[in-house]
Amino acid sequence: MRLKGKVAVITGGAQGLGRAIALGMARAGAKIVVADLQADKAEGVAQEARALGAEALALEVNVASEPAVQRLADETFKRFGRVDILVNDAGVYLKSPVVSKSEEEWERTLNINLGGNFLCARAFVPAMRRQKSGRIISIASSIAHTGAKEFADYAASKAAIIGFVKALARELGPDGITVNAICPGSANTDMPRRHRSEEEVMARLKATPLGHVLEPDDIAGSALFLASDAASYITGQAYNVNCGTYMI
Amino acid sequence: MNQVALITGGGGGIGGATARRMAAAGMTVVVSYYDRGATEKVRGQIAAAGGKAEALSVDVTQAREVKALVTEVAQRFGRVDVLANIAGGSFYTKRIEDFSWAEWKEVIDVNLKGTFLMCREVAPIMRQQKSGRILNTASNYGVTGSALRAPYAAAKAGIITFTRSLALELAADGIRVNTVAPGPTDTERVMEKETPEARRQRWHSLIPLGRTGKPEEIAELFYFLTTPESAAITGQTFHCNGGLI
Repeated sequence: MRLKGKVAVITGGAQGLGRAIALGMARAGAKIVVADLQADKAEGVAQEARALGAEALALEVNVASEPAVQRLADETFKRFGRVDILVNDAGVYLKSPVVSKSEEEWERTLNINLGGNFLCARAFVPAMRRQKSGRIISIASSIAHTGAKEFADYAASKAAIIGFVKALARELGPDGITVNAICPGSANTDMPRRHRSEEEVMARLKATPLGHVLEPDDIAGSALFLASDAASYITGQAYNVNCGTYMI
Repeated sequence: MNQVALITGGGGGIGGATARRMAAAGMTVVVSYYDRGATEKVRGQIAAAGGKAEALSVDVTQAREVKALVTEVAQRFGRVDVLANIAGGSFYTKRIEDFSWAEWKEVIDVNLKGTFLMCREVAPIMRQQKSGRILNTASNYGVTGSALRAPYAAAKAGIITFTRSLALELAADGIRVNTVAPGPTDTERVMEKETPEARRQRWHSLIPLGRTGKPEEIAELFYFLTTPESAAITGQTFHCNGGLI
């Protein structure tokens, strides 16, 4: 039980990578807060966590809304009294070429993917500072490094997360708080299926040097490691988990 | 199945901590080092803690010694699941014009050539097994460069891209290859050269976490990269430096 007694907040925890991370942390002994726009699905993940014997709270949260994030922090402290781990996974993945991308779409991507990191960090850091400990883990993307056609806003938001993580690591290091990013390659979740056929998605998932289909649990494995005491000297990093598709 | 880990530099600070970490996880550890006494000491620590370890000395720059070491490990244990190439060091801090050709080669050979020789001998065994994990050791200096450590920085940068190439070469056989890049770490070797106070003053303001690393913290990262939790990770460089870079 590597995270026994820890309190972990996972944004975007209702599905995909966030769900796997939330359940992985619950299995490791953490009390979890599943925050997501999709309240029903978030409650479903909380129930799965309770079935594993963990304490869990589900909250409907738009991470791009200041009052919603404040409420997330307030409810977390009211229920669990502290926060040890913040996982920023909430994000959107909207496809359109730059020349026809609306300002609204651009803002939605940047506000949720990047702004959510800022708002959640701002809401939870004071408590971590008082504890003189904490772990912030942000889910970036391999697309931060490689770019992706017709996902320029997404690529920009994910690259910006890495810069944000490195800056925040420098800011919070003196208080014993580590801040890291994980850059997953394309994973076997619903997200890539929104824009591609099932055949295309599976072909792309298998076309990696390792030939291993990247599963949400692979990302959860790295998130658990970074959240654990074993990663006490790691901060400011962006770790690639991508089956060898690129190496930067 | 009982996993076998072969660790070079196993008598040193980071290598010794990594050997102890792997043994604590139940692996049979072969501790290799150029100095027989240091190897025996780590073997004894592991045995005293209830783990399984063998001590075998090797000079990783000598192809014949590397071949003999790997042959002996294969004969005695029948397999190699983990190879951790931790033997290395910067040895000298001086200006480029003061490096002799022999010194240059010494630094390049212990770090980079030794990594190549070990991988060359172990890869065929892992290929036959259709599984294995190779861990190489770089340094923050392999990315940033370092005044007065030109051959060391060059060797470590070489290891990072050697790792990527080998990862691509061995991926289809189920073998993962990654690099761990430790930052300033409190090993006996560096602590002998510097007082704790001088060390603190040199690093404190540069490292966000405000302290140098412990060998055990680097060992945890090496261990993570051997576990199924890291099954989707290959060809990557993992810095562990308190946020230095």
